Amino acid sequence: MSGPFANLRVVEVGELASAPYASKLLADLGADVIKVERPGVGDRARRRGPYPKNQPHPEKSGLFLYLNANKRGITLDIFQPQGMQLLERLTADADVLIHNLPPPEMDRAGLSYDRLRANNPRLVMTSITPYGLSGPYRDRAAEELTLWSQGGLTYLNGAGPDTREIPPLKAFGQQAGYQGGVHGAVATAGALMAQLRDNEGQHLDVSVYEVCASQLELTYVYWPYGQRVASRLGAKPVQPLEALECKDGLIFLCCVEDHQWNAFVELMGHPAWTDEELFRGRGRRTANWDAGRLFVQEWLNEQTVQDLYHKAQARRIPFAPVSTMGDLLNSEHLNARGFFVEIRHPEAGACKYPGPLFQMSRTPWELRRPAPTLGQHNREIFVDKLKLSDSEMAQLKDKGVI
Amino acid sequence: MAAPPLAGIRVADFTWVWAGPYCTLQLGYMGAEVIRVETRTRLCVTRHMTPMADGKAGPNRSGYFNQYNQNKKSVSINLHCAEGIAVARRLALASDVVTNNFAAGVMDRLGLGYQELRKSKPDIIMITMSGFGETGPLREYVAYGPAQVPLSGLSALTGYKGGPPLHVGFSYGDPNGGVHGAFAVLAALYHRARTGEGQYIDLSQWETSVGMVAEGILEYQMTGQEPERMGNRDHWMAPHGVFRCKDMAEKVAGRSIDMWVSIAVTDDERWRAMAAAIGRPELGSDPRFATLAARKRNEDELEAIVTNWTSQRFARQAEEILQKAGVAAAIVSTNKDLFEDPHLNGRGFFVELEHPEVGVRKHTGPPWKMSRTPSGVHHPAPLLGQDTDEVMMRVLGYTAEEVAKLREAGALT
Repeated sequence: MSGPFANLRVVEVGELASAPYASKLLADLGADVIKVERPGVGDRARRRGPYPKNQPHPEKSGLFLYLNANKRGITLDIFQPQGMQLLERLTADADVLIHNLPPPEMDRAGLSYDRLRANNPRLVMTSITPYGLSGPYRDRAAEELTLWSQGGLTYLNGAGPDTREIPPLKAFGQQAGYQGGVHGAVATAGALMAQLRDNEGQHLDVSVYEVCASQLELTYVYWPYGQRVASRLGAKPVQPLEALECKDGLIFLCCVEDHQWNAFVELMGHPAWTDEELFRGRGRRTANWDAGRLFVQEWLNEQTVQDLYHKAQARRIPFAPVSTMGDLLNSEHLNARGFFVEIRHPEAGACKYPGPLFQMSRTPWELRRPAPTLGQHNREIFVDKLKLSDSEMAQLKDKGVI
Repeated sequence: MAAPPLAGIRVADFTWVWAGPYCTLQLGYMGAEVIRVETRTRLCVTRHMTPMADGKAGPNRSGYFNQYNQNKKSVSINLHCAEGIAVARRLALASDVVTNNFAAGVMDRLGLGYQELRKSKPDIIMITMSGFGETGPLREYVAYGPAQVPLSGLSALTGYKGGPPLHVGFSYGDPNGGVHGAFAVLAALYHRARTGEGQYIDLSQWETSVGMVAEGILEYQMTGQEPERMGNRDHWMAPHGVFRCKDMAEKVAGRSIDMWVSIAVTDDERWRAMAAAIGRPELGSDPRFATLAARKRNEDELEAIVTNWTSQRFARQAEEILQKAGVAAAIVSTNKDLFEDPHLNGRGFFVELEHPEVGVRKHTGPPWKMSRTPSGVHHPAPLLGQDTDEVMMRVLGYTAEEVAKLREAGALT
């Protein structure tokens, strides 16, 4: 069996998370992805951790190793004319180019769809950029934090009603990057369907800012439907809907629907306070939750997380533990499904990585190789594939193109 | 003119709430005919959720439903009776893709499971986007959006320094599961187009969420310690944070006082540019701040300097000054800021179509553009059951009399 994209040739010019994640999704389903990195320094993800024992090393970044397994890697300076010409040759027989050079860098390198299309009208080019390829913010500088914030998500999180002096809080990690990547992969896969049908490519313009703003649940529509600013401040729409302490850790209580609250009351042994006028019905219970929380907390002080989790779920109450990384790695359920996959990397050693994020019955996820070391496949690509001679290689190396 | 990428692809959409509808929204953007199967006696909860247009309740007036169901059709079938289930089965078999986000086993119990459907249609593609997946000891567990965030490990990693795990502010596992589901369906469609083979996709929203905390999983293994929560800070950039602005003191008319600017300084050169831009060029070479290591060591002091500057400026001023210096800076937007944003409006991100009950409301469209094939939103979200007759007769080949009979029998609602 081979992946659904086993016939695809993909070139990635990507840094950090967005474009690398988009091409990882294709690579994990069989595509042959050639990752292009800057000579000498490589992808920025190599210079972020996590690192074994916190010792920075460009071949040992956990973020890089996760995002780039299953790819081959070359070095190429596309900001030099000869580098750009080699990229043109590489994409001449490729199906897809995925990149996340922001527009000013595209201009500087001379990277454009028209240019690459001239050699290959079938090419799908996916540009994943902070603000898209048009509009007044096209050339702005952006990072993960500023995109998540400008996209409307940071505003929703953090301080509670009494702590408005505390700044709103970004979600951990590279979420804007990952979302830019997976939304870009969706658009790319759509364009591949059209490529299969029409034998023609096209240019995809993916804006990470817009990706963030696409995920605001009901908070965006509060403006066009209710002229209300949706805020992290103020009371929750329903309670309990929060993490509280058990004897041995945090559990997230979640009673959105009445039957869930009623089942929770039974689980607690139907204590008398739950029959008080103050807590009857969702509206009053939510309004008076500062008091209700005290009663529940007293009961939780005697519970353990796992025991309560399973007892609640047996009654169809959607509580969940606040998982640590250790909890996840040790989860019987995740391990029974084969979720974690051990990857051995020549420099970084063996670690367990998240494997298939979905299971396809006929074309399963597969691990073929660990992430490339910097320039690992230069010879394979430049000499074997593009037929550069040894003297050409030496000359390109001298100039720092490779 | 080219056809949309998924022209001719039909999706029988049994999904509800957010994850599943977010998946089929992506397919609809690319021209798939997405037919939502609804049941009047058990409406999608999002049809009940506020905000409702003009504050008036009604199943067609919910902003949430109308946002995530653009382009789709709605048929109203009673899945509590045999005749209704038979109609649903005929719809599934007339489709290329069947989607659902019920808990494991629900479609099987309806007789609409993959093994059953593939007997009649071997190349069918089916996806189940459940909370925990179709296998494993917790497969029957129920998942709600807000609880998925702590379950995924994202809460343990998100929070202020020294504080408890916090949420991320929305049910992130839903759109994340949904968009990965859309990618999986597209991969299966691509495979089918090349080989003629269908398949089954088992997506666990828990797993798609854990994928988003891979760095945390690896940090734990590489260092032997659970990662520390650190607010908005970053190990590899400083300053890196969300800072208060003058708006908070000023209470500008019509504007929330809760106004902040986010700033991320990527390297020493950008720090020097920022120091100059805030009128303190000497800080660029000050040994306390000249290198990343120094700025990380003196980060409290560094942030006090930045806060002192931002709190004397409106957020948009701070954003503009820093952007001019090439520093990544952006306001912390509210929904209203996005609604009014000249960039989003200028790029045509919003969709303004006439909906028969709520009129023109500004919805968000796809976050990407395709240069050659048509894509985007061509139709507002459906009224409940508005396409029942059309789908019954045109797609499924029932006669008008048969439709009337089924309606009388209560199979169509």
